[in-house]
Amino acid sequence: MATAVSSNLIERLRTAVGNENVLSADADLMVYECDGFTIEKNSPDVVVFPETTSQVATVVKACNEFGVPFLPRGAGTSLAGGCLPIGGGVMIVLTRMKEILEINIRDRYAIVQPGTVNVWLTQALKGTGFHYAPDPSSQGACTIGGNVATNSGGPHTLKYGVTVNHVLGVEAVLADGSVVRIGGPAEDSPGLDLVGALVGSEGTLAIVTRVWVRLTPNPQGYRTMLGIFESVEETSNAISDIIGAGIVPAALEMLDRPILVALEEAFKFGFPLDAEAVLLIEVDGLEAGLDAQRDQIVGICEKAGAREVRQAANEAERAKLWKCRKQAFGAIGRLSPSYCTQDGVVPRTKLPHILKRIAEIGEKYDLQVVNVFHAGDGNLHPILLFDEREKEQTQRVLKASGEILQECLDCGGSVTGEHGIGVEKIQFMNKMFTEEDLAAMGNLRDAFNPFNNLSPDKMLPTSGACGIEQKHPGRRAAL
Amino acid sequence: MSTVLEVLPITEMFEPSNCDDLCALIASAHDSKTAIYPLGGETALNFGLPAKHSGWGVSLKQFDQVIDYPARDMTITVEAGVSMQSLAETLAKENQRLPIDVPQASEATLGGVIATNFNGPRRYGMGTVRDYVIGIHAVDGTGRAFKGGGRVVKNVAGYDFCKLLTGSLGTLAVIHQVTLKVKPCPQRSAIVVGTVKNLAQAENVLAELVTSATTPAAIELLCGPVWHDDAIWDGDAADELAIAVGLEGTDAEVQWMSAQLLEDLETWGVENCREVEQSKVADAWTSMSEFPAQHQSPLVLKGSVVPGATTKLIEAILGVDPNCSIQAHAGNGIVIASFSEFPVDGLSRTLLAKLHPVANSAQGNIVVLSNPGGHEMTHQSVWGGIHAPFGLMTDVKKRFDPQGILNPGRFVYV
Repeated sequence: MATAVSSNLIERLRTAVGNENVLSADADLMVYECDGFTIEKNSPDVVVFPETTSQVATVVKACNEFGVPFLPRGAGTSLAGGCLPIGGGVMIVLTRMKEILEINIRDRYAIVQPGTVNVWLTQALKGTGFHYAPDPSSQGACTIGGNVATNSGGPHTLKYGVTVNHVLGVEAVLADGSVVRIGGPAEDSPGLDLVGALVGSEGTLAIVTRVWVRLTPNPQGYRTMLGIFESVEETSNAISDIIGAGIVPAALEMLDRPILVALEEAFKFGFPLDAEAVLLIEVDGLEAGLDAQRDQIVGICEKAGAREVRQAANEAERAKLWKCRKQAFGAIGRLSPSYCTQDGVVPRTKLPHILKRIAEIGEKYDLQVVNVFHAGDGNLHPILLFDEREKEQTQRVLKASGEILQECLDCGGSVTGEHGIGVEKIQFMNKMFTEEDLAAMGNLRDAFNPFNNLSPDKMLPTSGACGIEQKHPGRRAAL
Repeated sequence: MSTVLEVLPITEMFEPSNCDDLCALIASAHDSKTAIYPLGGETALNFGLPAKHSGWGVSLKQFDQVIDYPARDMTITVEAGVSMQSLAETLAKENQRLPIDVPQASEATLGGVIATNFNGPRRYGMGTVRDYVIGIHAVDGTGRAFKGGGRVVKNVAGYDFCKLLTGSLGTLAVIHQVTLKVKPCPQRSAIVVGTVKNLAQAENVLAELVTSATTPAAIELLCGPVWHDDAIWDGDAADELAIAVGLEGTDAEVQWMSAQLLEDLETWGVENCREVEQSKVADAWTSMSEFPAQHQSPLVLKGSVVPGATTKLIEAILGVDPNCSIQAHAGNGIVIASFSEFPVDGLSRTLLAKLHPVANSAQGNIVVLSNPGGHEMTHQSVWGGIHAPFGLMTDVKKRFDPQGILNPGRFVYV
């Protein structure tokens, strides 16, 4: 779907959003040629920065008139190529629609524009006793519109749920340029749950221009622990035992030794460098119940073989622990020039098995694989270390990645827990889903986006994107 | 309670026992343009517009098997015809539960609860059924089987059919298998009750509860004659309103919350504050779950507004029928009104002139849960929501059910 955007269209776009809100010079466009998935790249023909919903609608209508594809983009922190402009066209960057329009504590919602950075909302809520629960590790940069597109998770979604559990409604511009409002601050809107369908649709169904999100009360207290283990197997057994005991921690994250070494170099936290793995475990809620939950978890960890379970002594130590965890990927640069992470999910009882298999697959392909991931919900992030300048290494990484994801599927899991399909994992869709499943998904897309001109060739292999063959693994900076 | 043949124009009943048979049946209905009425426990037959097209009843009663229950993963895969009670019993053996309250749980099926998006008091603390469905198998209006989601608790591969089919009233596809994530059973459950004199006072208390240090599982506002014989009421004056707060967690958490709440409620001017006796707590939850199934009521409405407008909507409803019995999931802005008599002005005029404006001004809407007499059941009176994108929903419907055979004429489509 190669397009050449005419000067007439560019002129129309300038009229619609203002001269200063249009980029069309090659050098300017390069910034927008990919997201955090840097392997496949393609520049859009034009980038526009609308400031209002009606500007978005006008841009979309102009694209339709000129027969040019278009797609939305937030901060570009997504990791699967969701905002890769396949076929070029017009990229609608929503970062100038960044207002928090309303905070309503009585009714427990906020209204934000899509370009609002995730953490801004929680910062704006400081002092109210509420926060916005989804906390992807990129929350300092990623936008809530982007979170809606990818149904973002984060460490604390184990207890609090992912983005879709916190979105009450959206205003969106459809592929034909019409504006709809779906849902809103009152629950149980009559009719189909189109909000649920839109969240996680990776920008292929509509362009979200306003979001009603639910606000979550802050917990009264926390207990944050670091379980230290001599083996990965003991660690994964402990995870499985914690979940199996019916405990729902606020977060349950695993980090293995190579990551700890890199983090220790970067942050000097005092991680035990002779341990094979640690579990970062947090329980939160009423003070009345926290010590008992902590004791139960400590008991389970010790029974599983933990050498020691430390507790964060104060809020500063807790904050530092979380900083280490959320910036773990930044520290990987200390380990290798390039890395590739996957996002597979397995049933939590399969964690001991999958971690063993990941290590075996690493050995088979002579690659170092390190792990830092959302253990509590079985969402793996194995990181394969390599040097992308070495072609042969790169090929081994691709093969190993594919084998790991296949193993996740064989365990009854998924190829993506929070990063999305985008273009990166499109070739896995027909391994997870039957032709009929994909046809049903095509039906849904066609209802919203009948000409496939909004974010074309994403997510569904039937849309013609199966031709995108991955030549290099992804190199990413967050999870 | 109405029977299926009284409510639906069914010419023939089918009870397929497997997915292939279900597909073949629907494909055949598609080819002959015959209406299909999917049936679960037949407990919500009055929900939706009256059916006009004669067709086949398709019962999912034989889809009642547990497919896989890896309890340590806290997920379960079951067929959609399993009753909510049977599901609860299976989960209870592992000290787990699906915290969705529904009336007539021995009859109501999981598929029916998902199709109607039915939720009760615990929605405040535990969320709604859409939050628990992580995998779904269904057959569309052409007889094609498809699935969405999977069996893991976190999964963003593909469009989320679990959400799309929840609340779709069987109009996009017939749900036959579901994977749920489940929760551990709480160690202790308690209900703290107190009474207030009027709606203004009720709103003050509800507003305080939003920022309370406690973490309730349910916040209910109750009034009207149906409650006066209930264990929750306990001899309170008939003209009062009861605020019932459900608490769940560990023994220590619930005891702390109960003590804190009793103190808070008194500070906020609530009277007759007490904790329901432990021996009566299960019954009290049951009566709060059963309320929407008011078989004797000539009209049951459900309003949804922003939580802060709950009492405003109740005031409007009581203005129409002062003897109306009401259960509000007040923390969520959901008001269920069981009328003592059919509105003298008629349903449409009552809704259009008196109730819709109040709900709309609070960003919400009103739908009819049941109107057994069937009077004035128009699209607008049944589904309200004039600002909802019904046209877009209709586009989706046409893609999944091109002949319009699945539960035709009953849902929101235009």
